[in-house]
Amino acid sequence: MSVLDGKELRIVGFLCNWCSYGGADTAGVARATQPTDLRIIRVPCSGRVDPLFIIKALFNGADGVLVSGCHPRDCHYSSGNFYARRRLEVLKQFLPVLGIDDRRFAYTWVSASEGQRWQHVVTQFTKQIHDLGPAPRLEDAEPLLKVADMALTALRPLGTGQHAALDALKAAIRAKLPELECIIGWQQGRDAAHTVPLFMRTPEDVDKLVWGPFNVCNPAVYLPSFKGKKVGVVVKGCDSRSVVELLQENLIAREDVTVFSLPCEGTLDMARVDQELGRYTTIDNVAYDAAHVIITADGVAHSFCMADCAQGKCYGCATPSAVLADERLGTPVEVTPSDVTPPELALLDAMTLKERLSFWHGQMQRCLRCYACRNACPMCVCRDYCISDSRDPHWMTQEASAKEKLFFQTIHALHLAGRCTGCGECQRACPVGIPILALRQQIARAVAQLFDGYKPGLHPEDVPPLLGYEVVEQNIHERDWK
Amino acid sequence: MRIGVFICHCGSNIAGTVDCAKVAHIARAYPDVVYATDPMYTCAEPGQAAIEAAIHEYKLDGVVVASCSPRMHEPTFRRTVERAGLNRYMFEMANIREHVSWIGKDMEANTNKAAELVRLAVEKLRNNVPLTAKQFDVNKRVLVIGGGVAGIQAALDCADGGVPVVLVEREATIGGKMAKLDKTFPTVDCSACILGPKMVDVAQHPNITLYACAEVEDVSGYVGNFTVKIRKRATYVDWSKCTGCGACTEKCPSKKSPDAFNEFTGTTTAISIAFPQAIPKKAVINPQHCRQLTKGKCGVCAKVCPTGAINYDMQDEIVTEEVGSIVAATGYDLMDWSVYGEYGGGNYPDVITALQYERLMSASGPTGGHIVRPSDGREPKNIVFVQCVGSRDKSVGRPYCSGFCCMYTAKQAILTKDHIPDSQSFVFYMDIRAPGKMYDEFTRRAIEEYGTEYIRGRVSQIYPNGNGRLTVMGVDTLLGRQVEIQADLVVLAVGIEASKGSPQLAEKLRISYDSYGFFMESHVKLKPVETNTAGVFLAGVCQGAKDIPASVAQGSAAAAKVLALFAKHKLESDPQIAQVDMRRCVACGKCIRCCPFGAIKETEFRGEAKAQVVETVCQGCGLCTSTCPQGAIQLSHATDNQILAEVNALCQC
Amino acid sequence: MSTIRFVTPDGLSAFLDFLAQNGRRVLVPVEKPAVKRSVVFEPWSAGRPFTLEKATVPAKAAVLPQCETLLSYKKTKNADDPAAVTLTLDDAPEAVPTVVFACRPCDARGYAVLDRPFLQGPYVDPYYRARRELLTVITLSCARGCDTCFCHWTGGGPSSPEGSDILMTEIDDGYVLQSITPKGEELLAAAGLADGTERFPAAENARKKAWASLAPAPNLKMAPASIAACFTDMDFWQHWTERCLSCGACTFFCPTCYCFTITDEGEGMSPSGGRRLRSWDTCMSPLFTREASGHNPRMVKAQRMRNRVSHKYATFPENWGAFSCSGCGRCIGNCPVGLDIREIVLAAVQRGAESMHEKQEQ
Repeated sequence: MSVLDGKELRIVGFLCNWCSYGGADTAGVARATQPTDLRIIRVPCSGRVDPLFIIKALFNGADGVLVSGCHPRDCHYSSGNFYARRRLEVLKQFLPVLGIDDRRFAYTWVSASEGQRWQHVVTQFTKQIHDLGPAPRLEDAEPLLKVADMALTALRPLGTGQHAALDALKAAIRAKLPELECIIGWQQGRDAAHTVPLFMRTPEDVDKLVWGPFNVCNPAVYLPSFKGKKVGVVVKGCDSRSVVELLQENLIAREDVTVFSLPCEGTLDMARVDQELGRYTTIDNVAYDAAHVIITADGVAHSFCMADCAQGKCYGCATPSAVLADERLGTPVEVTPSDVTPPELALLDAMTLKERLSFWHGQMQRCLRCYACRNACPMCVCRDYCISDSRDPHWMTQEASAKEKLFFQTIHALHLAGRCTGCGECQRACPVGIPILALRQQIARAVAQLFDGYKPGLHPEDVPPLLGYEVVEQNIHERDWK
Repeated sequence: MRIGVFICHCGSNIAGTVDCAKVAHIARAYPDVVYATDPMYTCAEPGQAAIEAAIHEYKLDGVVVASCSPRMHEPTFRRTVERAGLNRYMFEMANIREHVSWIGKDMEANTNKAAELVRLAVEKLRNNVPLTAKQFDVNKRVLVIGGGVAGIQAALDCADGGVPVVLVEREATIGGKMAKLDKTFPTVDCSACILGPKMVDVAQHPNITLYACAEVEDVSGYVGNFTVKIRKRATYVDWSKCTGCGACTEKCPSKKSPDAFNEFTGTTTAISIAFPQAIPKKAVINPQHCRQLTKGKCGVCAKVCPTGAINYDMQDEIVTEEVGSIVAATGYDLMDWSVYGEYGGGNYPDVITALQYERLMSASGPTGGHIVRPSDGREPKNIVFVQCVGSRDKSVGRPYCSGFCCMYTAKQAILTKDHIPDSQSFVFYMDIRAPGKMYDEFTRRAIEEYGTEYIRGRVSQIYPNGNGRLTVMGVDTLLGRQVEIQADLVVLAVGIEASKGSPQLAEKLRISYDSYGFFMESHVKLKPVETNTAGVFLAGVCQGAKDIPASVAQGSAAAAKVLALFAKHKLESDPQIAQVDMRRCVACGKCIRCCPFGAIKETEFRGEAKAQVVETVCQGCGLCTSTCPQGAIQLSHATDNQILAEVNALCQC
Repeated sequence: MSTIRFVTPDGLSAFLDFLAQNGRRVLVPVEKPAVKRSVVFEPWSAGRPFTLEKATVPAKAAVLPQCETLLSYKKTKNADDPAAVTLTLDDAPEAVPTVVFACRPCDARGYAVLDRPFLQGPYVDPYYRARRELLTVITLSCARGCDTCFCHWTGGGPSSPEGSDILMTEIDDGYVLQSITPKGEELLAAAGLADGTERFPAAENARKKAWASLAPAPNLKMAPASIAACFTDMDFWQHWTERCLSCGACTFFCPTCYCFTITDEGEGMSPSGGRRLRSWDTCMSPLFTREASGHNPRMVKAQRMRNRVSHKYATFPENWGAFSCSGCGRCIGNCPVGLDIREIVLAAVQRGAESMHEKQEQ
């Protein structure tokens, strides 16, 4: 059972029960002839339409998806469609990064009395989908591997942070130690060229604290597990935004968290460092100057210039100093924000839709579903009940297809809409280097463009854009159906 | 499961363009379908009986009917399956009439589409679970917001029905707009004479508690159990002591206070009683104009008050009332007609609103019922009435008809002739809308008996002609010529909008409102006094333009709804509401932030914060379900898995 | 005496061509370019570029795919009696003759570990067996150790032949291939490669050099007893697991981890039919042990890490006489927060020794 071959395409409609479903009924009563492609799923409200349903349909064979609800202000539930409008618009702007033509998805408003309008909408949308033809499938796309250009210029000078007030920081932590369950920071890892998270409980632990370009992990990821306990955290500027976002979402309490900060001069892209070092047995020495880290491994010196080898996120970073801190050491650094397209996103921007589909097919093939990306994400808070393995709701299968893997990444990205601070831990954690951050970056860009430059993780009191609405949206305009 | 499928022919309505037998045949191959047939009329008595019989014969535990829109017959068939012993939610409908047979003639495509919609319904049904309603107590008291004629009627009907009523009125007196009118159409009987007794009934009714000078501050709770906070504004007069004797108003030295009751056609004292028949008949001090309150010296009213009721230190007071139902009857205000620069934008004293004209005609008005020009107090001879000022005018964003202006304009033209026999009235109109009982006859009388000159066309400009009169330039579209009238007085039929503060009140009540602030009824035809928030009803113009008879009728209708609601000892909640899976919930509060009804609150469960749905407040929109990333809150009967089953039925490549 | 052959670097493609004959699937390490480069095993086809680097992902999937269909089924209805259905079921293992080419000794030893529970226990896994029987492993011995490698701690080494059918060693001008098993010998004999007997000493030399590059290995003989002794010391496990994120990077990239989950997808009458899938699972996830009631015997990550370490270094050796860890070090290198199983094992050994010492004194 499916669409009629050669005649119809697969078009799925989600209609709210009160207005648009009624509008479609009205069109029927008026015998308003329409194309037969559309299959309507009745939902109580357009606000019920989780964007994931649309992704699910588009990934699994839909050539077009149409959502229709009550006109703004006419919502049966007073504001469901206002929320829907924001979420669906973000989705529409997100689709192209996956390689899906955004014209394959439309949302509109049709009242129960607007039979004619409904006829017009169905006819136009069906025509549009037929003009686009059958949707290309991810699994049919020839895998394509391309690498982001990391030759970037930072908004501020990047450095090795060796003059940071580490001793003052340690003193401040020691002073607070008795009041806190523990303080999270960084310590040396398996060698001097790697750090790992440090949980400080004793003055001896504090001695182990390090500061510098190897401090790549985001310690905020651990905070929700300490909910209800007094805890401290040492942050870089980017990490502090995660703390703010966790506060905003009530996942930690302000009075429970003490934030220690030093201005950050940038951190190393360990993927490129490790690749340059290759297979080595021992790190002999790590030396620093203002702009370089020199790692000597097995007798060979490797020099890493911070300006060349920093993490992608550091180049566009406008918050080297914590946006929120209780104990602020060192001199805060002011950076004028600028709209820099991050390298991963720039890579996708330069591709055609077809290439993007090929790109994701090629990239996701090697994903092992280890979910390091998810677990490294400070904003991923479902933990024990992630829908990746859930049967109720049963969004995903355990199949090892690129489609299922990309679907998970899409779920993650959409769930992070308006919440992702771009810390990049998902991508850093990926053992096989899939540039999944690009999906989050596209969401963040869409959110910023739609909601007055909104950037998550700056103010704890902000209402996240997708949890609010304006009756009249400044940047979301109803598309005409002429 | 054992599912039965019924593909309705609907006579030839469906069978004309859908091969119903074939659809039934295809449906037999669907999972869990053990029986499929294609009856002629499923909704008819034999059709329903056949469903019941099939449920018994084939031991069905779920039924799919493919026929017309579920908006039409879903309740019907739910009752059918319930009669046969199934839970009403073990039923799904496929709409193969409005969405298939009526919108295309291609038999092959229609049959295929119909079969697929049946598949959708089957897959949904396979994920359904029986749902049962919960019962809860009802607090049989009602809050009526607004003491205009609609609110008065609703309050009196409820009170007469034995229900305690809390009536909240923003102004110092009830009576609303009707109390300001001189006479009413089409009978030209005295407004005060017919409304006055009802107002007195309100004051005297043992079941009615009246709060005047009061506004609703906050509403929480749900149908049967609302908690309402009411702000009683400081009147600076202790009403428990005030007898309404008026001694204070006579002696008050501040006599230049704006007189809102008289539509600012005159002035009043800083301490005043709105009008002689005011209910409650109590004095109120206008703090902006009271010398004691603004300058700290005067105190005349306190000195003259025989009961010592004056209290200059009075503060606003919040009272809390518990009610089971709410009737909103907040009426209307005139739109700001100063946007019409061509009519002087409010700068010509002799261009007035029809409501002001009512006060000029009223014996209790500032002129004692003598029609005079505001500018010089002379009696006007040529009076021009301009209709649709701010109605049916998209250029000022008012596309709707205010409904009653045609009729009161005719009334005012007739009354003008009665007051000033040698006057001549002119009415510029777009269309005369007189559909009510005796209405058209009434306008004919204005034209034929009272010689009112009706000119079909709009006024393009009004300007002073230099010798104390106004030149009214217009067009007569029937004759196709320019018209110019020298007028002594111009009366504008200013369009209406929802009363000030309506959107804010709507948000407190969690009901919808349109872009003009009018409250949204649940269904424009079939549920005109209900809202989408259970237990909240509408009466009068707050829902949309209507005249007095319609407002009164709607007041009674709302009262009937309240009484019907209260006739039950227990209420049943709709089980199609959201439910929280406590294990999944991480208490991030996203659902609480989004819920349009405030139906989700934070609770503690085994020492952890969790979201909890207040079952009686939840209206079942499912916004929370699509907001929760954990899938921890699921809307019953539209869960993620249920909708996914439908998506998967369509998209599985 | 084993068969010894030699192949030049230029000759590798032709050798792969030979391996790919008769419908054999040849899995070769392929580089995936990215800012963070990775190497994975993928089927080879003529002309396809490959690498001889140690792969990021071991070739475990050759015998235990990330996800496999255990069985698929279709249900069809009887038109006359819709309540009756006909079921057709296919539970044949998905197995094709496969050669894994240029995996490392640690990967090959992974197969030896997997063989124990899947083939040598009371229950033989027919799916695993089908693939394992059709598998030939050509291992490239390592020229040197690296910072995360510790194969020699676990009983292996840079040229350990365990699990391999053919061992390949790089020398100055090419590669010496030595058959380890009859299966390897048969394949090598048919490959048409040059004889490598005279280059064998050079290969042995290279192997020795690789061994010499390794730091001395600690004695882990007491590891099973020590870890068992630490089992109830939750402070110990909590301390070592504090930074764990509970992801599956350690287990999914492990050549010896074999935990799986089984899920049913689709159903008999859905267009793609019903499938019973077996897919990798990870004991590091709280979901792994969560029971239907919601109760979870391994609720906290310390319990889960304890399970992983004990399984590899205590219970598996108890049952099978060998560690279920080949010391490949991928869990260390791939961990987003740099957790190092070596540290935990060493700490446990030390702790165990201390506590046993205490007991003796008492």
